[in-house]
Amino acid sequence: MHSSNPVILQAHSLVKRYGRLTAVDGLSFAVRPGVVTGFLGPNGAGKSTTLRMFLGLDRPTSGAATVGGLRLAETPHPMRVVGAMLDARAVHPRRTAGDHLAAVARAGGVARSRVAPTLELVGLGAVADRRAGDFSLGMKQRLGIATALIGDPSVVIFDEPLNGLDPEGIRWARSLMRDLAAEGRTVLFSSHLMGEMELTADHLVVVHHGRLLADQSLSAFITERTTAHVRARTPDRPGLLQALSRAGVHAAPDASSTDALDVLGSTTDHVGRVAAGAGVELSELSSARDSLEDVFLTMTSTQKEAA
Amino acid sequence: MDLLASEWIKARSIRTTWLLVAGTVVVTVVVSLLGISGLLADWRADLPADFDPTGISFKGVLVGQILVATLGAQTFTSEYATGQIVTSLTVAPRRAVLLATKLAVTALVALATAVVTVACSFGASQAALAAAGLPTADLPDAGTVRAILCAVGYLVLTAVLGVALGAITRSSSGALAVVVTVALLVPALAPGLPGLVGDLAGTYWPTTAGQASYTTAGAGGVTGSAGLAVMAVFTLWTTLAAHVTLRARDA
Repeated sequence: MHSSNPVILQAHSLVKRYGRLTAVDGLSFAVRPGVVTGFLGPNGAGKSTTLRMFLGLDRPTSGAATVGGLRLAETPHPMRVVGAMLDARAVHPRRTAGDHLAAVARAGGVARSRVAPTLELVGLGAVADRRAGDFSLGMKQRLGIATALIGDPSVVIFDEPLNGLDPEGIRWARSLMRDLAAEGRTVLFSSHLMGEMELTADHLVVVHHGRLLADQSLSAFITERTTAHVRARTPDRPGLLQALSRAGVHAAPDASSTDALDVLGSTTDHVGRVAAGAGVELSELSSARDSLEDVFLTMTSTQKEAA
Repeated sequence: MDLLASEWIKARSIRTTWLLVAGTVVVTVVVSLLGISGLLADWRADLPADFDPTGISFKGVLVGQILVATLGAQTFTSEYATGQIVTSLTVAPRRAVLLATKLAVTALVALATAVVTVACSFGASQAALAAAGLPTADLPDAGTVRAILCAVGYLVLTAVLGVALGAITRSSSGALAVVVTVALLVPALAPGLPGLVGDLAGTYWPTTAGQASYTTAGAGGVTGSAGLAVMAVFTLWTTLAAHVTLRARDA
């Protein structure tokens, strides 16, 4: 259904200061079409401020946040270029979902006939005549997503879209974002939870204290920043440690158990061969990586000390 | 055109809009009639020499203006209070256009409200005066027609002023405080101010001048259409201030 041109979001040396506080401190990155880009950072990292500058709500102290090379106010049909949900609760509680969407649609020059199908798309078709104030947070989230999508925009921006959704809603929102990206749209969503990123994003932009920490694909992020290790369990832990040491592989016993050990810089294939060669019985052999959550926490905590 | 339609949907889909419209009509008429009922008690006593049967029909505007200003203000303040403004500005990022649209829709709603309010208040008041055997306004008289039109114009300007104050203060209570101060407090206190300040404030203060425009009494100072013009200029400046504020501030 989506037919317009791909549009790139770009932050050019973006700075935003509030008095003495620097919320965004020289951010430069681009968000490309066709993939889901996750905008990750702890609370107060400057994510929302950056998103607001893309939408022209806040004026950068210096630098620029452009949509398809233009500031949003300069684009001819803003609603067909960008759809956004910053805060799901940001809707007049006394207005019905249908009236709310109709007002938004008309403002962007979109036919009212898009209202009903868009409400259907987000699963609110049956409650179009109910006031938004009576909605649960999850339903408001869906209404916010409908508000973002009604103009069939090339770019969608969601601030913390998974907050307040139940597990089924989270799965729905994830697959929606993937579908939107697959249609060739530029999809940017923010979160302070690495776990949400792992399951949803193809590309990561990580910020902390308003500065860029990483801008790379999720797979590159994983291979570059996490180390693989092999975990083995055996009834003969000293025997396996000895055999691995003879084979030149570094291994350490897992202090939290009596029969497990961690092997760094090797593969399950190799550890299995070493164990077989030494005649040591294995009860488990698996490979694991550091959790991204840990990597993220380490990244942001070292930054904090540096600052 | 699309944005006008959007703002119209916003206005008509909120019950507050219609409560304020109905409230403006009812309160204005009731207060005007109460003003006359005060006269009825001692109508045989000498009426003041400058008794103005037209002006007295619009006494209720003093209270009605607060409601109509709130009608204007809430087009912005309700959006800031709920956060809806973020969506509105994302969809229509040109803030001057959004302000102009809200002004236009509010002016139209206020115009319809003002016509009904003024017609009802004038009709009911004249009927009450006639029933009591008091002097009534002379409708074909140019001064009376002018006063009626100025009363409509004054209410519309007050609503427009409300929109501007809503955009500047972003808060219903803030806007209301300014409206009450400008429209009620200063006109009430001005006569007590000393010397030139009191004279100026009692004559050229925009709402005082505006309120003089819908009477036929020539009490000196700024009267008639000139009074409404003073109010219009003040409203224009406030609207420009709202425009500058909207452009300069982060949403």
